[in-house]
Amino acid sequence: MEETPVLAALDGGVLTLTLNRPQRLNAMSQPLIAALKEQIARAAGDGAIRAVLLTGTGRGFCAGADLAGTGTGAMGPDGKPDLGAVMETHYNPLIRAIRELPKPVIGAINGVAAGGGANLALSCDIVLAARSARFDQAFVRISLMPDLGGTWFLPHTVGDARARALAMLGTSVPAEEAERMGMVWQVIDDDRLMDEAKKLATKMAAGPTLSYAAIKQAMNRAGTNTLDQQLDLERDSQRALGKSADFKEGVGAFLAKRAATFTGR
Amino acid sequence: MAYENILLARDNGLATITLNAPDRLNAVSRKMIAEIKQCWEELAADTSVRCVLLTGAGRGFCAGADLADPDRAAGAMADSGAALEQFFNPVIRAMRAIPKPVVSAVNGVAAGVGMSFALASDIAIAGKSASFLQAFARIGLLPDGGSTWFLPRLVGDQRARALAMLAPQVTAEQARQWGLIWDVVDDAALMPTAIEIARKLAEGPTLALARIKDALNRSTGNDLAQQLDVERDAQRVLGKTDDFKEGVAAFLAKRKAQFKGK
Repeated sequence: MEETPVLAALDGGVLTLTLNRPQRLNAMSQPLIAALKEQIARAAGDGAIRAVLLTGTGRGFCAGADLAGTGTGAMGPDGKPDLGAVMETHYNPLIRAIRELPKPVIGAINGVAAGGGANLALSCDIVLAARSARFDQAFVRISLMPDLGGTWFLPHTVGDARARALAMLGTSVPAEEAERMGMVWQVIDDDRLMDEAKKLATKMAAGPTLSYAAIKQAMNRAGTNTLDQQLDLERDSQRALGKSADFKEGVGAFLAKRAATFTGR
Repeated sequence: MAYENILLARDNGLATITLNAPDRLNAVSRKMIAEIKQCWEELAADTSVRCVLLTGAGRGFCAGADLADPDRAAGAMADSGAALEQFFNPVIRAMRAIPKPVVSAVNGVAAGVGMSFALASDIAIAGKSASFLQAFARIGLLPDGGSTWFLPRLVGDQRARALAMLAPQVTAEQARQWGLIWDVVDDAALMPTAIEIARKLAEGPTLALARIKDALNRSTGNDLAQQLDVERDAQRVLGKTDDFKEGVAAFLAKRKAQFKGK
């Protein structure tokens, strides 16, 4: 039977993308990656979409690459798997697209996020995790290293010491611990996760979209910029935002002590 | 020089800057930021000053840029980019470059660029009732005053994105837990504690403190191999100072060192 590996629904400016291979804990097949990439590209091109919500069906968020299926790509000419090729053609473009999308991406991590699934989760701008969710850098158990940006996300969220330990020991991190470490933004009770995530995504879809895009871009560059370079970047972005309709509305609303109505322009 | 929107006091090597528009929670007007900039230039050049303490008058630390400032619409302030280039960014650069420790006593709300001032200081201490707010996204801007650089380094990429995009108000205690600031004390104890720390730094080994600041400024852009070289070069210089000689002698004699900043 033909499966639909990613469900997509657009509602009120929020594009909700649901990983949909529950029988495999939403493990990433090549069709799943391709579908996700296609939807992120759609979000980039469609002005009506102002926030993306990423989640999974069933009890897992994403179990990582589908090792029993197409997740590890094709064999190289030496008869051994060429993981570099599948990273280059599938996984890395997806992570880059999520980070570069000029709209906020909210992750609602409904269950286990393991291997590449953990790092797909960490690539989201705002990560909300169900209390029962776990983040598991499982790679070392199969003699690999964290990928899909894991070796970048980890030290940039939990610090160098914890990053090394998590990557080398492959420790499974419960959601509450992940929140304490700063790996994820917030833990939410399982039965409230989707409501809260939808509420947040809807709020952000009615927010100052250009401001979010500028924040994303600034944060993406903050890791390698010096403070000096970053101050210049802030100057240039703030100059552009200062000319936006949303800034005018924001200041007007602030001075009039009313709620701002942002249009994303 | 005389200032009208801030207070500057000097006492035995400790300079205290007090933002002084208490009726506006020390929101930064065009006139105030010009004075703040000038003040940092003055303190950088004054070798008698060995530590700077920054705080706010009244119940706020600094509410950020003054959106109701009558000067805002005119001239440079109408262009957010130009205001940053001419005033705010030079202040942040000066705070980080000044070869003396900068202590902030965050006595109340620190919002927008006011929060950036707190984050740009070397040691920030807050009163329990203080709060921190990256207010920028609420008016369609992005954090400035270096906050897009400070935040990910202090609290990590994930919390930085959330703080910048969602603009939640953060309590002083939460800020301490996350590592945004060094410490939280009871409101009544804030100024005595901050002054005690600043006073101790003002009587400390100023050249070593300056090198520490410089090394940490560089550490995030350096790889470890480069940083080991920075430490080697700085330590070489510090090893020739009077304060190092005094520090070692005092240590061996089990007495308190008397540092001169030389």
